[in-house]
Amino acid sequence: MDGKLEFKWFSEISTMTDGDYDYLIKLLALGDSGVGKTTFLYRYTDNKFNPKFITTVGIDFREKRVVYSGSGPNGTTGKPFKVHLQLWDTAGQERFRSLTTAFFRDAMGFLLMFDLTSQQSFLNVRNWMSQLQANAYCENPDIVLIGNKADLSDQREVQEKQAKELADKYGIPYFETSAATGLDVDKAVITLLDLIMKRMEQCVDKTASETANGGGSGKLDSVQAPEKKCAC
Amino acid sequence: MSQGHELINLAFLTDQEHDLILGVLRRDEELRKKEEMRIRKLKMELQDIRKKGAKRGSRNYSQKACARCQNALGPFSFGAGQCPVCSHQVCQNCRVTTPKGSWKCTVCMKELDLKKATGDWFFDQQINRFTNASGFDLVRKSLKRKPQPNKRETTTEVQQQQQAQNKQSASSSPRAKHRALKTKNVLFENSEGAEQQKSDTESAESHQSTPVFKRRGSLGDAAVPQSIPVNLNPEAFTMSTTTSKSHQAVKSEDSPSKKRSEEPADDTLFTKNPKTIALSDYARPKSVIDLRSEVPQIEENTMGDRSKSMPGLDRDLDEEEEDIDSLVEIHRKSAVRSNSIHSRASSGTLGSMMSIYSEAGDYGNVEVTGEIVFSMSYDTNAQTLCIFIKECHNLAYADEVKKRCNPYVKAYLLPEKSRQSKKKTVVRSKTVNPVYHDKIVYNISQSQLIMRTLQLSVWHYDRFGRNVFLGEVELSLDTWNFKDTAEECLPLHSKASSQSSAYSHYKGELVISLKYVPQSKLQPQKSKSKKDEGGELHVLIKEARGLTAVKAGETSDSFVKGYLLPDRSKKTKKKSPVIKKTLNPYYDHTFVYTGVSFDELKDLCLELTVWDREAMSSNHFLGGIRLGLGTGMNKGQHVTWMDSKGEEVSLWKKMMQFPDSWAEGTLLLRSTMGLVK
Ligand SMILES: Nc1nc2c(ncn2[C@@H]2O[C@H](COP(=O)(O)OP(=O)(O)OP(=O)(O)O)[C@@H](O)[C@H]2O)c(=O)[nH]1
Ligand SMILES: [Mg+2]
Repeated sequence: MDGKLEFKWFSEISTMTDGDYDYLIKLLALGDSGVGKTTFLYRYTDNKFNPKFITTVGIDFREKRVVYSGSGPNGTTGKPFKVHLQLWDTAGQERFRSLTTAFFRDAMGFLLMFDLTSQQSFLNVRNWMSQLQANAYCENPDIVLIGNKADLSDQREVQEKQAKELADKYGIPYFETSAATGLDVDKAVITLLDLIMKRMEQCVDKTASETANGGGSGKLDSVQAPEKKCAC
Repeated sequence: MSQGHELINLAFLTDQEHDLILGVLRRDEELRKKEEMRIRKLKMELQDIRKKGAKRGSRNYSQKACARCQNALGPFSFGAGQCPVCSHQVCQNCRVTTPKGSWKCTVCMKELDLKKATGDWFFDQQINRFTNASGFDLVRKSLKRKPQPNKRETTTEVQQQQQAQNKQSASSSPRAKHRALKTKNVLFENSEGAEQQKSDTESAESHQSTPVFKRRGSLGDAAVPQSIPVNLNPEAFTMSTTTSKSHQAVKSEDSPSKKRSEEPADDTLFTKNPKTIALSDYARPKSVIDLRSEVPQIEENTMGDRSKSMPGLDRDLDEEEEDIDSLVEIHRKSAVRSNSIHSRASSGTLGSMMSIYSEAGDYGNVEVTGEIVFSMSYDTNAQTLCIFIKECHNLAYADEVKKRCNPYVKAYLLPEKSRQSKKKTVVRSKTVNPVYHDKIVYNISQSQLIMRTLQLSVWHYDRFGRNVFLGEVELSLDTWNFKDTAEECLPLHSKASSQSSAYSHYKGELVISLKYVPQSKLQPQKSKSKKDEGGELHVLIKEARGLTAVKAGETSDSFVKGYLLPDRSKKTKKKSPVIKKTLNPYYDHTFVYTGVSFDELKDLCLELTVWDREAMSSNHFLGGIRLGLGTGMNKGQHVTWMDSKGEEVSLWKKMMQFPDSWAEGTLLLRSTMGLVK
């Protein structure tokens, strides 16, 4: 998954107060408390780093608008479009769990984060995955796995290989990021965004063929190679 | 599916946390509003395209014309062809070629684009898992359900506080109420929620926020609170505790460990916690417990339900679903549609919703066949009506040609057509003999129940939202024998036979509180003169919901007028201030009638009427209620105005039963103050 992005995304610093965008995409960051979800999102939206730890109370979100332009490999028309991102930040603390999981269902994609300097936070990824499966809008939502705090290499407790294996097992991309330096923060988010946009196209294609098919007798299902099947 | 009733127990939140989260939800709501505007615009565009060629739903049109632009297609017209999606004949001009080289007709293309742009592709999936509420809704509702104070004394205080606050500003009062609830939580002995709250009382003070949800809550849901917690995630999952040092440090400083230990272990999950029911209902004194169906509810938002997202606009999923039908049948309905869009933009009224409901949707297209099998029971203790939808037989196909039918059953407790009243089963795909085994549960008091009509309608669910009506049954619940819980099998009938059902007279509701203050309880200096001998009747006019605008699609400047009958003179006439431009006005105004002795109460009747204030002409009647014992008698004489019924009577009784405490109720407005049968 090494950054072979088909889409070119540019962040747009705009007023963001208008409704002038083409898609509203909702992402959600989850993972243990302290792994750096809030800091990561702050880096992504504001390109700043906050060394202080202010644990998130329940739920929060940030916004950012990005523009897609250029063309994909299959000759997608190059008309630029704007995506308004709503980035949900959840509290990792367990006491908020019932609240935060309730927000899972409203998100279109997930940034599942752990702390490279905390083995425990990595072990808990499995639990977060099952939480997602149970509470997201569908059973196999788009997820990227993120090992954060890559800058603290001397304190590293989780090896890249380990994490990569886990990600492969789930069939999701893996990134090592640092909110402190900004390393691969954009890339992780944009990869997720791409996955979502692709799924969106697939869903719509599928609806179209189903409608054409009078309820989808399954004939067309074989025509569409479903690498990641959309359940709609 | 059908997990529409769950709530989360959020009692563990401190006040400060509660407010912080509310703040986040508020910001989210702003975004949702923006999104809603955008989507509406997109849908209007689609409508424009469709206007040019309306052939879509039906197949009986001339094959000789392009389905989009209506230009004639010669039999051998060059380039004419069938759109692969809608299979209509479409001329070359009305096609869009996709990047992959295939083409679709303009309408289908636009629809697909819209599916992406509106997020429908996502909501369609989400709804398969979570029928009703989005997480946003769920949390918002759950947030409002803070642990309850115990008794009427508390409410009294609450109201007093509220009144005190009224003088300052209307917006600060609910917060005061909130606070009052907190301080009295001591009364709640066995609730851990209350225990927790107690310690947080102070923090509430420092963290006052504008109560955004107050008005939302008033947006028209008389509604059955969905307070049955459901275990959302059955595999209880406990996270092993984080061990990283930095994490722990923060945890312990963040939340007092005391609080944590008091939390039940399962609180962090979606649990079936029976306490939620008891604790959940906001500001409901026990003394009026059988009003439980009428708690002010937070307007439900349904980001989850298709693309619409703006609370207050998104009144009804089917409104939207059926709405899209109206888009299709443009010729018949364009006027209605634009009208309703307008009104929803302004305030999302019940009235306009109803007009959409009755006008839109594919009612006529299907010859209704088949039957529905269900059973019903009512639990008097829990005050829950449970409808078990077993199955349907022999339904009509939504599309006879393509043999399409994905039926689901929708329930309403008429006359209410609010979101809370609406419940649905799962959708069964590709069958005319769907088996549901699905439960629909309403929380409703018995006194309310007998005034309701259960409507079960069957709909074909279409991914594009063109839902098709497949038939319905209506049952008057006052005559229903709830002891008999045997299965019923009733034939479905078409809409026409029940066109004039009760909800067409729905005029909205009035939320009020009554209190009788006996003379003994009055402050001595208050009863200044002789003529004020006797106690006082306090009438708090809180708000009205879902008023019907005089002109469809518009709002109203309304006020409430009161008389204490039999005296229909200036002496007993009271008026609230006018609340402008809303169909869900929040009056928060108190009428005080002095010199009322307790014995008189049984012969008095409080008449409250809601009026639309017309600047240059006479005011317009919007609805009213009469509160009294409804005996038909006044001092031994037959009188017509002593005609209170149901809730109108029980509220009055409650007030008499508990002097010096508030009895709160939500009453359906009568559409006429003439005689009721
Ligand atoms: N060195 C370094 N520190 C980081 C990085 N990301 C986050 N941190 C720090 O880790 C601490 C916790 O970060 P937060 O973003 O608040 O953690 P969180 O995941 O939001 O935690 P909760 O809100 O409790 O769930 C803060 O002190 C951050 O400054 C990183 O990439 N490198
Ligand atoms: Mg955080």
